[in-house]
Amino acid sequence: MSRKNTFARRTPTDIGLHIWGILVFAYLFIPIAVIIAYSFNNGKVLANFRGFGLDAYISGLNNDVIISSIVTSLQAAVGAAIVSTVFGTLGGVALARAPKGAWWALGLTAILGLTLVTPEIVDGISFLPWFVTVGVDWGITPLNNGLVRLIISHAMFSMAIVTFIVRARLAGIDTQLEDAAADLGASPWKRFKDITLPIAAPGILAGALMSFTVSLDNTILSSFVQQPGYTPWPVYIFSAVRVALRPEVAAMSTVMFLLTLLALAFVGFVLRKAGGSSTEIIKTMAG
Amino acid sequence: MSTQAARPTPPVNRSANTGQTKEKEKRPGGLSSRFFGASAMSFPTWAYALFFFVIPVALVIFYSFGYKPDQFTAIATDHLSFDRYPEAMSASFVSTFFATLRISLFGTFLCLIIALPFAYWLAIKVSPARRSLALALVMVPFWTNFLVRTLGWQIMLSPDGFLSQWMQGLGILDGPLDILYTRSAVQIGVVYNYLPLMILPLFVAIDASGQKLREASYDLGAGKVKTFLRVTLPMAMPGVVSGCLLVFIPLNGDYVTATVLGGASGSMVGQLIANQFNTAQNWAVGAAMAMILIVSTLVVVGLGFTLLKLGQTITARLNSVPLKDGRA
Repeated sequence: MSRKNTFARRTPTDIGLHIWGILVFAYLFIPIAVIIAYSFNNGKVLANFRGFGLDAYISGLNNDVIISSIVTSLQAAVGAAIVSTVFGTLGGVALARAPKGAWWALGLTAILGLTLVTPEIVDGISFLPWFVTVGVDWGITPLNNGLVRLIISHAMFSMAIVTFIVRARLAGIDTQLEDAAADLGASPWKRFKDITLPIAAPGILAGALMSFTVSLDNTILSSFVQQPGYTPWPVYIFSAVRVALRPEVAAMSTVMFLLTLLALAFVGFVLRKAGGSSTEIIKTMAG
Repeated sequence: MSTQAARPTPPVNRSANTGQTKEKEKRPGGLSSRFFGASAMSFPTWAYALFFFVIPVALVIFYSFGYKPDQFTAIATDHLSFDRYPEAMSASFVSTFFATLRISLFGTFLCLIIALPFAYWLAIKVSPARRSLALALVMVPFWTNFLVRTLGWQIMLSPDGFLSQWMQGLGILDGPLDILYTRSAVQIGVVYNYLPLMILPLFVAIDASGQKLREASYDLGAGKVKTFLRVTLPMAMPGVVSGCLLVFIPLNGDYVTATVLGGASGSMVGQLIANQFNTAQNWAVGAAMAMILIVSTLVVVGLGFTLLKLGQTITARLNSVPLKDGRA
């Protein structure tokens, strides 16, 4: 990629664009920096800075309610990532290999598209009565478990994302490899395991990561399906917003922020090893 | 694509089907291939989507025709009517509804205005070596809990926060910063929270709209502005569309940002719906409000697409004439 002509001389537009870029980055990062800075607040109220120290980290890590909500969130996120990745991968492979115009492929695309455009609040109010109907009235008791409810609802939310990422990943790739394997006598399962899955792997990984973070972020849907004892971390923060915010929230958020960065760096590393350009990686990560 | 032209001896399990042209879709081979056929493979996803999306949402649509029989029951559906819809559209709901729509539309517009030059800069002006890092940096806020980021704004915008004190110290402000718990604070917060969702599709689209075409445009004598308007922007349109969708749709149903930054004056439609389910325990009215929200969201999206199509037709017609002149 030659960019000689763009870097040979800097026109006022270029300078303006550079300044704009830096300003946008500042806008994106200042609130995060503020949270990290205020996590070292030794005061009692988050927004009121009283002395620098690690008190919030210590008391946050010793606060059972906070820790259990973070653990709930992580469990739900892992569960939702697994469930939505399994279902989404199957759906994505099926859609990518669907014959043109098949009713089940068009229907599935339409329904999954609808799940993406449905406001979260609507999913929330739909799940609330449905879990009661299925779990309590029909007696399917696993659905009464708070963690199961969180996982199912979050996975529904991100299943479409995984499906579309996997489909996009496979769409560019010809079926010739699979045909060749079939010609050479590979069984359908072997074809799926040895050819389709490795090709789709970066997409699957990106989808799993995406659903993990979508689940960690989810507030509105979770606040509707949560059960006593299974309050996820964002719902805990959201309820604290209405009462009083303490620096522990910022401290624990900083810890989770660092963990997320580590996870992201790891996934980026894996994707790069799988041989994608940075743009492709972002494309798959962003769906 | 025709694989049947020169094929080696077909394996035993598919010998029955050699002459068939459509063998890709129809691979015989007993039970296992039926399990791995594309349509069968879509079954679990179908079932999940039906059981955990279609049926529950259909139930809510059904509830919107029900009513609240007494104080202690949330919903009854023994006789159905459209009465909950006018009931849902109370004066306060309508004003909140339009305020929400204004915040969402204006927020989407602001995101687009901020993100377009930024994505252009990222895709074209930043050197490829640094671009990966820059992109990773854009992703970082995207992966941080959005509620926590919103709290960052709450700290910053608070009247006794550091920003307020600095601005007063510098003489920019006479009194404390008076922006938290107003609609402006909500606007700042939503633009902030949804900006990465606009940047990423725009970046992908602009990056894909090839450098080669831009160079060809320069070689043919088009200036920078002309190249941007005629080449880069039209090719970035899919990114604009998906970015606007990604921002507008969730924003219109969001109420968390508004609660944190807007307080009482930041109530959004989503909040009103949640109240019907959580506090008022009137599911029928809440469901009717939700239906109004969905339909209005779809209407706005549909209008947007219509405008886009119209704009494309017009520009295509305008662009087709000078090209011929330029060749002469």
